[in-house]
Amino acid sequence: MTENILEFQNVSFRYEAGSESKQLPLAVHNVSLAIKKGEFVAVLGHNGSGKSTLAKLSNSILLPESGKVLVNGMDTADESLSYDIRRTVGVVFQNPDNQIVASVVEEDVAFGPENLGVPPEEIRKRVDDALKAVGMYEYRKHEPHKLSGGQKQRVAIAGMIAMLPECLVLDEPTAMLDPRGRKEVMDTILKLNREMGMTVVFITHFMEEAVRASRVVVMDNAEVLMDGTPREVFRQADRIKAAGLDVPKAAELARELRKKGIDMPDDILTASEFTQNFLKRFGESKHATT
Amino acid sequence: MPLLETQNLSYVYSENTPFRMVAIDDVNISIEKGELVGIIGHTGSGKSTLVQHLNGLLVPSSGKVLLNGEDISSSKAAKRAARFRVGLCFQYPEYQLFESTVYKDIAFGPHNMGLSSPEIDARVRRAAEFVGLRPEHMEKSPFDLSGGEKRRVAIAGVMAMEPEILILDEPTAGLDPRGRDTITQMLLDYRNNTGSTVVIVSHSMDDVAQFADRVIVMNSGKVEFCGSVHEVFRRVEMLERVGLDVPQVTGILMELHKQGLPVRTDIYTVEACAKELARVVSQRGNGE
Amino acid sequence: MIKDITIGQYFPGNSVIHKLDPRGKLVLTFVYILLIFFCKNFAALGVMLLYLIAVILLSRISLKMLAKSLKPIILIVLITSLLQILYNDDGRVLWEAGRFQLTTGGIFMAIFTAIRIAALVAASSMLTYTTSPTLLTDAIERLFSPLKVLHINVHTIAMMMTIALRFIPTLIDEVDKIMSAQKARGAQLDTGGVLQRGKALVPVFIPLFINSFTRAYDLAFAMECRCYRGGEGRTRLKVMKLRLRDYMAFLITALCIAAIAVSNYYLTAVI
Repeated sequence: MTENILEFQNVSFRYEAGSESKQLPLAVHNVSLAIKKGEFVAVLGHNGSGKSTLAKLSNSILLPESGKVLVNGMDTADESLSYDIRRTVGVVFQNPDNQIVASVVEEDVAFGPENLGVPPEEIRKRVDDALKAVGMYEYRKHEPHKLSGGQKQRVAIAGMIAMLPECLVLDEPTAMLDPRGRKEVMDTILKLNREMGMTVVFITHFMEEAVRASRVVVMDNAEVLMDGTPREVFRQADRIKAAGLDVPKAAELARELRKKGIDMPDDILTASEFTQNFLKRFGESKHATT
Repeated sequence: MPLLETQNLSYVYSENTPFRMVAIDDVNISIEKGELVGIIGHTGSGKSTLVQHLNGLLVPSSGKVLLNGEDISSSKAAKRAARFRVGLCFQYPEYQLFESTVYKDIAFGPHNMGLSSPEIDARVRRAAEFVGLRPEHMEKSPFDLSGGEKRRVAIAGVMAMEPEILILDEPTAGLDPRGRDTITQMLLDYRNNTGSTVVIVSHSMDDVAQFADRVIVMNSGKVEFCGSVHEVFRRVEMLERVGLDVPQVTGILMELHKQGLPVRTDIYTVEACAKELARVVSQRGNGE
Repeated sequence: MIKDITIGQYFPGNSVIHKLDPRGKLVLTFVYILLIFFCKNFAALGVMLLYLIAVILLSRISLKMLAKSLKPIILIVLITSLLQILYNDDGRVLWEAGRFQLTTGGIFMAIFTAIRIAALVAASSMLTYTTSPTLLTDAIERLFSPLKVLHINVHTIAMMMTIALRFIPTLIDEVDKIMSAQKARGAQLDTGGVLQRGKALVPVFIPLFINSFTRAYDLAFAMECRCYRGGEGRTRLKVMKLRLRDYMAFLITALCIAAIAVSNYYLTAVI
């Protein structure tokens, strides 16, 4: 067993064009990326940067044109392994409506384990555990279409967890949600990562969400532009902006102040970090003039 | 007289069934000519139901909607006219595109108004320009465009009716930062160039704070508060109670203020906030 | 509004009727409908009505809801009853006007037919009200699985039904939304002749179809991600096992059959 649960080795991919004469540009170009067990990786990029394609490449829904994708060392190109690959890497998509199969919450969560041929008593346990993990156990008998967006998305996540994957890949799971739904989903995913040790690859274009990851990967023009801790990445505001993205508001504020010649650290990410730093420098008890 | 006004507006879904639900309850709002109004509230607060009354799509269970002082459901003609005088662009409007070309799709509204071909043509071109569509886009199928471009085509489809009031429900939902900025800037330009009245429904406080003249806060079907951006964001407890946040930079300033720094808290953008903090820092520097 | 339709809807609950094995319920509903047609007099029909009332009471479904399911068929009931009154001239003549005769036979028949139709609709509504659509399709899949021999893929059909049921509410919402959006652009969807209305629906149906294709495409991906590969080797969360209550239901139904047979044999037929 390798330490990397998910590994992209020089992966390129392009979608098929409608007509044969023209070829679409590469959606993913020579991407190499290794995701370690237990990591929480946020993948950022503007629409069309190739980040969503990565999600579909990660569990053999799409196969690379060149290069290799390895899941726990298993090559996604090997069709005989696709079953094992998909139960190892669970993928959750953007629109929760389009990934819920059944008309009752618990029956939907059971869909994955049912496909895996898990015995009924075991399915029951997995469904209950998964629904509890995402905080939707009380809703197990509800109809999905009557739930809020955030609740639906948590049901979709439970549907994946019930398959006991080692890694969750979430493709913009918060893009269609309101602030409350976004928070629900984000808190759920963080909990899964911290408390259950689930490896998470979280594709998003909300910077405030990316800040909470342990590692940030920025995609631009089908390639990996940056890769590092949130602090390392968001420090380079100009490159982030050139890639069509924003930096978190607190980081941007600190940057504006630095531009005005005010001494603020260049690795501030959150509002509370900003206030703490600002007060330390310019607050009432200012003895740190050196 | 306000341009658009609601009087004791209420709407009940599925009346006389076990699923009965009061969506909006005794809502009184008024919108002046040339204003840019933000309507905020979380999902289910009734904001989307409210705006569907403003162009007569939903008929109130009780109460009235007045456009220039005239009840929009007073006659069939008035009702139909209201559709065109109050342009409503729904959430995720790109899912309603249907024509074979971008041009035809934008022309759908003006065509339904029964305008002459040259007038339709002029309006389509003006609307396309407002949303930054290039001439070469016009003969393309709308389904071949990117997500952000589709959104712009759909908004142009409503703008082309040249309504007196343009209402947009969550115009930036689901877009990436660049897409959000493009749409926001586009709407500001539209307002500045045409002097139109614009109403934006949103749950992004950062957006609303940046450009709205006035904010209407909706909560469980009622108007919770209505006033200038500053008046709204000053009421932190009220916002918390209805499940809304203040813009992030405002939150930072409020925290600093609480810690005893003499900073203003009526600031909503990063630039203005940086300026204010710089002012405070330089004062401190001078005081030493 | 389209959203108010209750036929085919499911009202979750915890009653004995809800808990009955869906396969049993499906078969019993079918048997019940057949039996209704075998009833030849009021005594037999009375037994079947008692059966139905017992089921309704046990299910704790509100009578209001049930009445709602009967609303759409009122017209059919009235017309058939009227026909019976007009054309049946058995029994004692109560009133006469020219060629028209109001007879006791006619009135009995009218009432009989009305009860029959109402019981029939109420019984099938009870099935859908107390059985989740998923369980129902599941039951169909299991009951018809012997058809595999005829190379009919029952699993695929059942899966399609499940997905259709899941997406009907979503699509109804979507139609509502698209219609509102096009009306906001001045589309006139509810005026004009048939042809005009048909034409006016183009701006509704094109986006609906396109969005449905996107949904289907997304759903196919999502199902693949959840290791779906047809019915082979699938297990189910809910094991269907006949329990005591199911056997009781069978027994009660069998007793009803006996009662109907006896009353049909010994009592005079209305029909």
